[in-house]
Amino acid sequence: MENKIQKVRNIGISAHIDSGKTTLTERILFYTKRIHTIHDVKGKDGVGATMDSMELEKERGITIASAATFCKWQGHEINIIDTPGHVDFTIEVERSLRVLDGAILVLCSVGGVQSQSITVDQQMKRYKVPCLAFINKCDRSGANPLRVINQLKEKLGHNTVAMQIPVGLEADLTGIVDLVIMKAIYFDGDNGEDVRIEKIPDNLINEALEKREELIDAASMFSDELMEAALEDQVTEELLISAVRSGTLARELTPVFMGSAYKNKGIQPLLDAVTNLLPCPSDVENEALDMEDNEKSVILSNSPDDDLVAFAFKLEDGQYGQLTYIRVYQGTLAKGMTMVNVRNGKKFKVGRVARMHADQMEDIDKIDAGYIGALFGIECASGDTFASPGMSLTMTSMFVPEPVISLAIAPKDNKSQINMSKALGRFTKEDPTFRTHVSDETNETIIEGMGELHLEVYVERMLREYSAEVSTGKPRVAYRETITKNAQFNYTHKKQTGGAGQFGRVAGYIEPVAEEEFVFENKITGGSIPTQFISACEKGFKQSLAKGPKMGFPVTGVKIVINDGASHAVDSSEMAFQAAARGAFKEGYAKAGPVIHEPIMKVVAETPTEFQGAVMGSLNQRRGMIVGAQDEGPMCSIEARIPLSEMFGYSTVLRSLTQGKAQFTMEFNTYKQVPQQIMEELVEKAKEEKKNVA
Amino acid sequence: MLRKLIRDTKDSEQANINFNSTQAKIFHLKERSFKMLQNDLILRNPLRLMGYKAEEILTPGGFGAVLARAGVGKTSFLVQLSLNSLLKNKNVLHISLNDPVNKVNLWYREVLSRIADQYNIQETSRLLETILPHRFIMTFRVEGFSVPKLEERLSDLTEQNIFSPQMLIIDGFPFDESIYEQLSQLKTLAQKNSLYVWFTMRTHRDEAMRPDGIPTRLIKVADLFEVVIQLQPKGKEIHVKALKGEGADSDHPSLLLDPATMLIKDQTDK
Repeated sequence: MENKIQKVRNIGISAHIDSGKTTLTERILFYTKRIHTIHDVKGKDGVGATMDSMELEKERGITIASAATFCKWQGHEINIIDTPGHVDFTIEVERSLRVLDGAILVLCSVGGVQSQSITVDQQMKRYKVPCLAFINKCDRSGANPLRVINQLKEKLGHNTVAMQIPVGLEADLTGIVDLVIMKAIYFDGDNGEDVRIEKIPDNLINEALEKREELIDAASMFSDELMEAALEDQVTEELLISAVRSGTLARELTPVFMGSAYKNKGIQPLLDAVTNLLPCPSDVENEALDMEDNEKSVILSNSPDDDLVAFAFKLEDGQYGQLTYIRVYQGTLAKGMTMVNVRNGKKFKVGRVARMHADQMEDIDKIDAGYIGALFGIECASGDTFASPGMSLTMTSMFVPEPVISLAIAPKDNKSQINMSKALGRFTKEDPTFRTHVSDETNETIIEGMGELHLEVYVERMLREYSAEVSTGKPRVAYRETITKNAQFNYTHKKQTGGAGQFGRVAGYIEPVAEEEFVFENKITGGSIPTQFISACEKGFKQSLAKGPKMGFPVTGVKIVINDGASHAVDSSEMAFQAAARGAFKEGYAKAGPVIHEPIMKVVAETPTEFQGAVMGSLNQRRGMIVGAQDEGPMCSIEARIPLSEMFGYSTVLRSLTQGKAQFTMEFNTYKQVPQQIMEELVEKAKEEKKNVA
Repeated sequence: MLRKLIRDTKDSEQANINFNSTQAKIFHLKERSFKMLQNDLILRNPLRLMGYKAEEILTPGGFGAVLARAGVGKTSFLVQLSLNSLLKNKNVLHISLNDPVNKVNLWYREVLSRIADQYNIQETSRLLETILPHRFIMTFRVEGFSVPKLEERLSDLTEQNIFSPQMLIIDGFPFDESIYEQLSQLKTLAQKNSLYVWFTMRTHRDEAMRPDGIPTRLIKVADLFEVVIQLQPKGKEIHVKALKGEGADSDHPSLLLDPATMLIKDQTDK
């Protein structure tokens, strides 16, 4: 069994938008004989790449949901997760990385390390995923793999080493030179399926020897044996590969491969590298938390014979009901067995077990430790852990960012109303960064997410997958309120107009606190507020936080200290003190210099240098602060911090400014105080809206 | 002598603050302490510690250079100079020919947080917030850098009112044989825009030097520079020495850089 698990690879393919990762996956599936024809992402045949199973993905040429698929190469079983490249969908990337043992970082040989590659790389660091790099599109004009290798070093801090050099470049790309076996490899046949190995062309011998020296130098840092062999000039293929593997697994070396997925060059050697260099599940140490032992971390065994621990990393609502993608970390998940959802303690029997191949599937009997598979008809949320009955281990919770943008949606008719709520239920389960609630004031359904495109895609999915036609309002920024100074409060709530009276006095002060949402401190001595009412006070203050008195945005960064008060033997009650606390909050808050904070985004625009001035101007106009401009030959990237509220519709502006040649990515950076003038505008707007509602 | 100078300037700065506070009707204590903190940091800038009155040792359009071997602390030294100008609300354009924007940004954060550690300052993030709008980072590849290109970029910034620098820091400029023309073009640009320009220059162990310590390859362009400062590791310490400009011939005790933090060792409290 141990032998078997060593032949398993769970890998992801991550990259910047349009680096060609879906095309690469398509080729991998073709060479591993999982598919028999190749369809291009934006192909003329209208079929679309196999991994882009969702209609919408095919239309836009982007990959939204990560589909898991399985293939075999040289006796190894490879599970591939195709990950999305857009920042708006990073939760998908993060979830995939959580369950992966290794990854291929795809880079464009022309664009090099772009902003999204940096984000993805940071995510890989966070989850300690070893990776190898593949420089794609070496057939494109302007291709320069050496420059990309240097960028990997400079921008991402990888200790890169070239495992190959290209034979020809741009339109002349014919193959690659493998620096381990020191042979040239060519790819013949209609789809590059016939690999021809020949001697290295004379004009490349010197370069190859030089690069091989560099490779041996870099790899020998991870193997004394190789170091000795190198000194005696007796380096063998096995020694070299095993040293590179050690470096890769420790994340201290990044081997770089190259080719062109579109032109079918360099894919088979990359697959060899996946099997030779990336870790198998037992090479990776996975931790779970023991819920019964104060969340103590437990190392999982990876053995199929132990008790089951499995992790649901993705849900999909397919034609066969809810599909749950699952990774088994320990034990075996077999058809008919009973397991428990650790989050809610619900027990259930495993029905169908399948192995996924984009949107087609294959029924299997069990999923062993280390494998990725899918279950049908299991009620759960993504991020849930399944375990054998009696176990209380949970996989470490994932980092989930708070949404920064919201949108009001309204169904067009009754039928849409029902479908919309179905769709929302599904989406919120699938994607923790997508949230929904009904506004108390306007009664509208509000959806929240990580960016304009994120929400847009869900609105379109509602229509396509659930035929729920909805109209949308203007996107709204998730503003917050906070205070800037200390202020006292002393509020008495008194009601004696018939029925039981209400009395409570709460006094103390309110002050700003950094990096905490809410702190409550009880400094009452002498029982001026009886102990049983303290929690009512805290509750009252907490209620006030949900909607700030200034503009109705949630209040954060507030510390409340109560140090005095009064009660009445008959009229004081929990209700009375909650009301007193709410009154006290209002009183103190007004004096504490309340301000509005808005989300500031880190925006990176990549543009041809000739448009640099125009792009900078456009960023600057949006209340942006430009951090810097980086010149990278024909392209340059500009980094800025810009309030999210100013970024609506920026993609259109950028496209028209640069003849469609520039692109930008954006992610949440921090919350900052809104300038006075903008705040006044917001207050005006809020007033108007209130009037309209009334 | 040095201590006296610092005390004198401190008093005069203090007087300025008092003057401001009488003019303004409301002066929050918190704001004042923040302002004082800024001023305090300005007083501790490396040049002032060297005996210069301020960074205005360079006349508008003037060039200064910091010489050292690789890894001795040139960038850190310049970042300290830059921070000093930023604290005075002067706009600094930091041009790096080696490092990407993120790394330069990191340099600033690092140096500022080390200064904060050294002087026990709590409000680093606020300090950073106040200076960031005055800083602009531009990076070029060494082979892609040219004065006309810089001029083009500069006019992109100034014409659209995005940023108008008062000080220029050029890190990683290749001082080789053919730079005279580039430097003179830069000089013209600097004079036209009244910019103070600081360079880093990497020296080599076995490099030929003039008796005054200036590398011979700088001789041709030496006239363009008003100030040349050298960072010289000796044993476990790094000495800061003025080779050209004010203080070059003085018997001023040489300053030390702390190799652990790359900050000037504060000897004023001794």
